[in-house]
Amino acid sequence: MTQHQIVLFVVLPMAAGIATTFLHRYRKAQRWVGAGFLIANIVFACKALATVVPNGDILVSQMGNWPAPFGITIAVDTLSALMLTMASIVCFSVFLYCVFQFDRDQQGGFFHPMFHLLILGVQWSFITGDFFNLFVAFEIMLMASYAIFCVGTSRKQMKQAYKYVLLNLVGSTMFVTLLGLIYGQLGTLNMADITRLAMSDQLPKSSIPVIAMMVLVFGGKTAIFPLWYWLPDTYHTLPSAIGGLFAGLLTKVGAYVMIRVFVMMFGTSQAITDVVAPILLVSAGITMFLGVLGAVSMHTVRRILSIHIISQVGYMLMGMGLAIATGIASDIKEMAVAGAIFFIMHNMVVKCCLFLCGGLMVEHAGDDNLEKIGGLLKRAPWLATLFMIAALSLAGLPPLSGFFGKWVLLSAGFQSQHYVVVFFAVLTSLFTLLSMLKIWSYGFWSPSMGKHVDKPERRPTTVGGMWGIAILVIVALSMGLGAQKYYTMCSMAAKSLIDPTNYVKAVLGEQNTPKLAINDMLPETSPKKLVIKSDSYETSGH
Amino acid sequence: MNLLIALMVGTLFGASAFLMLDRELKGVCMGVFMLGHGANLAILAVSGSPAGKLPPVLSHGVDIHTFVDPLPQALILTAIVIGFAIQAFLLTMIVITWRRNQTLSLAMLATEEDAH
Repeated sequence: MTQHQIVLFVVLPMAAGIATTFLHRYRKAQRWVGAGFLIANIVFACKALATVVPNGDILVSQMGNWPAPFGITIAVDTLSALMLTMASIVCFSVFLYCVFQFDRDQQGGFFHPMFHLLILGVQWSFITGDFFNLFVAFEIMLMASYAIFCVGTSRKQMKQAYKYVLLNLVGSTMFVTLLGLIYGQLGTLNMADITRLAMSDQLPKSSIPVIAMMVLVFGGKTAIFPLWYWLPDTYHTLPSAIGGLFAGLLTKVGAYVMIRVFVMMFGTSQAITDVVAPILLVSAGITMFLGVLGAVSMHTVRRILSIHIISQVGYMLMGMGLAIATGIASDIKEMAVAGAIFFIMHNMVVKCCLFLCGGLMVEHAGDDNLEKIGGLLKRAPWLATLFMIAALSLAGLPPLSGFFGKWVLLSAGFQSQHYVVVFFAVLTSLFTLLSMLKIWSYGFWSPSMGKHVDKPERRPTTVGGMWGIAILVIVALSMGLGAQKYYTMCSMAAKSLIDPTNYVKAVLGEQNTPKLAINDMLPETSPKKLVIKSDSYETSGH
Repeated sequence: MNLLIALMVGTLFGASAFLMLDRELKGVCMGVFMLGHGANLAILAVSGSPAGKLPPVLSHGVDIHTFVDPLPQALILTAIVIGFAIQAFLLTMIVITWRRNQTLSLAMLATEEDAH
């Protein structure tokens, strides 16, 4: 894959969105077009990964050929490529599930275009190298998610949709205000350029509170401890597959951005990590523990899984917090980030898979209240098998993917002597197993119960959905059995995040400073602003 | 000028917070719209005072220190477009809610929910 082809990650889903909009009367065509684009997406993501991984290259493309801090940069490094690959696989599986399991109403209207536009927003956030662009990508992703939330809704869903929409709007407004302030302080919004400022210790003191406030914005999207209140109320009202898509992508985009911002961009700036690291670590412990307690106390499949998202976010936060905490050796930091990245990838796949399983459980039993269903093991043995693998993987039992993610995070925690957070992480693991066993024993093991369970004539066709789940389980298994391979890629990504010199070089050019000889026009002390020399303005073709 | 803009931003944020605590959805949405305007104004403020400066289409040999930074304005433009889409979406949601429930009061919506 050449460097300019990375724009395909934005172009493909956008084309799919537009095409399916025009095809909205032709359901079959809509599905085939969607499937084609999604498969192409997976292929390109894998190609990008194969290009980037061997040497840790970074594919950079400057939009419109404007040089880096002035134009919009898109860049794919190892982290982005890993995220893109996992996200595209998750999207395809959810798509399969939706196509085969959703009835006409649920797929009607503009569901398919919204689905593709959501993917557009997600992938754009993964590849953008510009802060304001990130905001735009977030907005596209969120708009699509609002629309999916509201299309063909029940009353209950509508009311919860307000909560979701309004909270996200406030979050976005805060984001855009902070971006304005950051621009005012630093004079640039290019991620690599900000990284350069942080690395050379040129961040003005007044920018520290503004940057620390970013925790609020991304924390809200990721659902970390004090800001997670919107999630348990909203996700469980969604159809399972959509819940899976949101769980697998939206909160993980937040986690990805947090890694990108706090580990890569500002991880080298002592003044900022001193503020942010304790917040992240404390929040990590509380998030994971309270989240899992909430999950254990719930009685419906979707609610358990929804609240579980929060608890899993805690582990990612733990990795980030360890990566920027002071007084930790850089190899342990690397380990922590690699663990967090591994965990995000594992979680995208497994969480989404469990949601899809939950959806099929409802199809079989007619309900998702655990007290009203049972006996699904006899009724759907394959579903039970796949669910069991995914659930044990989430809980982190040894040969499966969750184990390795947690193992790396825990050993990083031990070696850096953050015992409290490690203690909570282990405890949370235990409760995770408990909550998964709760679904297992009530839903699958207990005597047959539920509206449809005893009626063979109400046996739903679940082949398509099962394929979706199977793909995810296979990926999860490969992450467990081939953990070494995945971990090597993760630690490569982590290495380039802890020391972002290569990223800055790749985006800004060799000398680490912009080529346009503009800075000398301004006094040394003032931050660099977009000022274009009048003569270079003419030569640039205007 | 900066003080004036700061005060205006503060007023807009304050008013929008007040509106968002309203018991009716209309008020809540108005609050959200206003919040967006406050944010835009805040971004504008960082571009510096435009007093005595030229528009950013320069002829040869003009002193660049009179050049207003156009980037924040581009940011605001984008934010306005996005904000507009969001306002349209929220208003649509309100219309649908009204058609279904004949009320926009949050308390009424909540009680109906429980009875449902």
